[in-house]
Amino acid sequence: MNDILSKAATAAEIARAVLAGKTKAGAVVEAALARIAAAEPAINAFTDIVAERARKRAVEIDAGKRRGPLAGVPFAVKNLIDIEGLPTRAGSKINAEGPTARRDGALVRKLEAAGAVLLGGLNMGEYAYDFTGENVHYGPSRNPHDPTRMTGGSSGGSAAAVAAGEVPLALGSDTNGSIRVPASLCGLFGLKPTYGRLSRAGSFPFVDAFDHLGPMARSAEDLALAFDAMQGWDPDDPACTDRPPEPALPRLHDGIAGLRIAVAGDYFARNGNPECFEAVARVAKVLGVGRTIVVPEAAAARAAAYVITTIEGAELHLPRLRLRPQDFDPDTRGRLMAGALLPGSLYVKAQRFRRRYRARVLALFDEVDIVLAPAAPCTAPRLGQVTMTLGGVEMPVRANLGLFTQPISFIGLPVVAVPAARAGTLPIGVQVIARPFNEAAALRVAAHLERQGVCVSAPA
Amino acid sequence: MAEKAQDIGHLVDEAAKAIGLEIAPQYRDSVILNVERSLAIAQPLLVVDLDDALTPAPVFRP
Repeated sequence: MNDILSKAATAAEIARAVLAGKTKAGAVVEAALARIAAAEPAINAFTDIVAERARKRAVEIDAGKRRGPLAGVPFAVKNLIDIEGLPTRAGSKINAEGPTARRDGALVRKLEAAGAVLLGGLNMGEYAYDFTGENVHYGPSRNPHDPTRMTGGSSGGSAAAVAAGEVPLALGSDTNGSIRVPASLCGLFGLKPTYGRLSRAGSFPFVDAFDHLGPMARSAEDLALAFDAMQGWDPDDPACTDRPPEPALPRLHDGIAGLRIAVAGDYFARNGNPECFEAVARVAKVLGVGRTIVVPEAAAARAAAYVITTIEGAELHLPRLRLRPQDFDPDTRGRLMAGALLPGSLYVKAQRFRRRYRARVLALFDEVDIVLAPAAPCTAPRLGQVTMTLGGVEMPVRANLGLFTQPISFIGLPVVAVPAARAGTLPIGVQVIARPFNEAAALRVAAHLERQGVCVSAPA
Repeated sequence: MAEKAQDIGHLVDEAAKAIGLEIAPQYRDSVILNVERSLAIAQPLLVVDLDDALTPAPVFRP
């Protein structure tokens, strides 16, 4: 059990202590604010801190109001999620000058209804079109395990804030890997739920077909706690499922008995550095997995995800690209302008291929319950690094950190990214992938790996 | 390669003109580079054969 006021305390530990009356939410919030003040000059995770709002919430909790399963848990959100009274920056200069949000995003409201306390908004790659965590307007979020390195993105501030121990819980978004890549590079647990499982209402979009919101934390239990608190149909998000919530926490510690698990081979066993495949092998060994399966047409799936992303993203931003091109991050501007010029036939082919790929991958889940794959092709690149060599081929960092995540979010499968580095080395993660709406199974595997000591996340 | 780059430059100029997107000269090289990269990344999709009966994935329900 960690000291509740220390950076190592998990969300579950904090909530239990607050609910048992052993700690005041006010003390937890003040300790978190102090850690943020100390860490920010080096880490640059936060763009907005709502200290007074947090103190008011803490007073309410300590007075017996809002005593849910996340009582007193400090959290922060990627700054594309609405925070009442603040502009929703989405990592941009342009949106920062726009109107302020009139209410909190749906998931902020759900977490606060469960007793959590919002501390602020987090840095991110501009408009979420990013895998690096770099941002020309706000500066890069820095990897707490080595501040000269990238956090990964685009939920870079979310990963940095949790990995530095500023907060135990953060929300990110994942369109092509933007939760899983930074979770991997910063040594965290991250959940990209099934497409449509969690409401995206009150968040700035990127690619509607692929946009997901989800939690990042330092334990599987914290992911499950947050996930369960955020489930439920929301008419404000047309993609949000009306399936009843399926809580993950009650069966989190059931172990892996009965789960059929395989390692993804072929595409997922090449174009990465050795450490990412070693991480998968370590996890597979602890799970007793010897089986390898092939996810069919994964390379085409990655290509199709890229095409849909760049064309949908470009169309969304075309009015701003016309009026204020000079106010974009140069890296984002070039990619979005390019996306606006690609032929429509590419987009339609990608969407037709998507139907076939979905059917073929879902057929795999008749044979297995869980698929393991690398979460990123390498450990954190250095800040400013433009190219990297993977499998002997030099390629751009920004477009390729999501090589292994894109074919999975392309069809909305739920994934838990688990930290799986050897002690003393830079973090690297593994994707634990399940069939649609079976987040609970992926979280069970993550919790098992954590108990076995192979997947552990400690603050830097 | 130089000829291909020139072709992409031509595509960028004309397509931008067609949709009324003004690309300042200092941004043009980056846009060309990103179109080249996008087409290269799209290649595994381009070579896929799809059955005529395969409809696009998104379903609009009125």
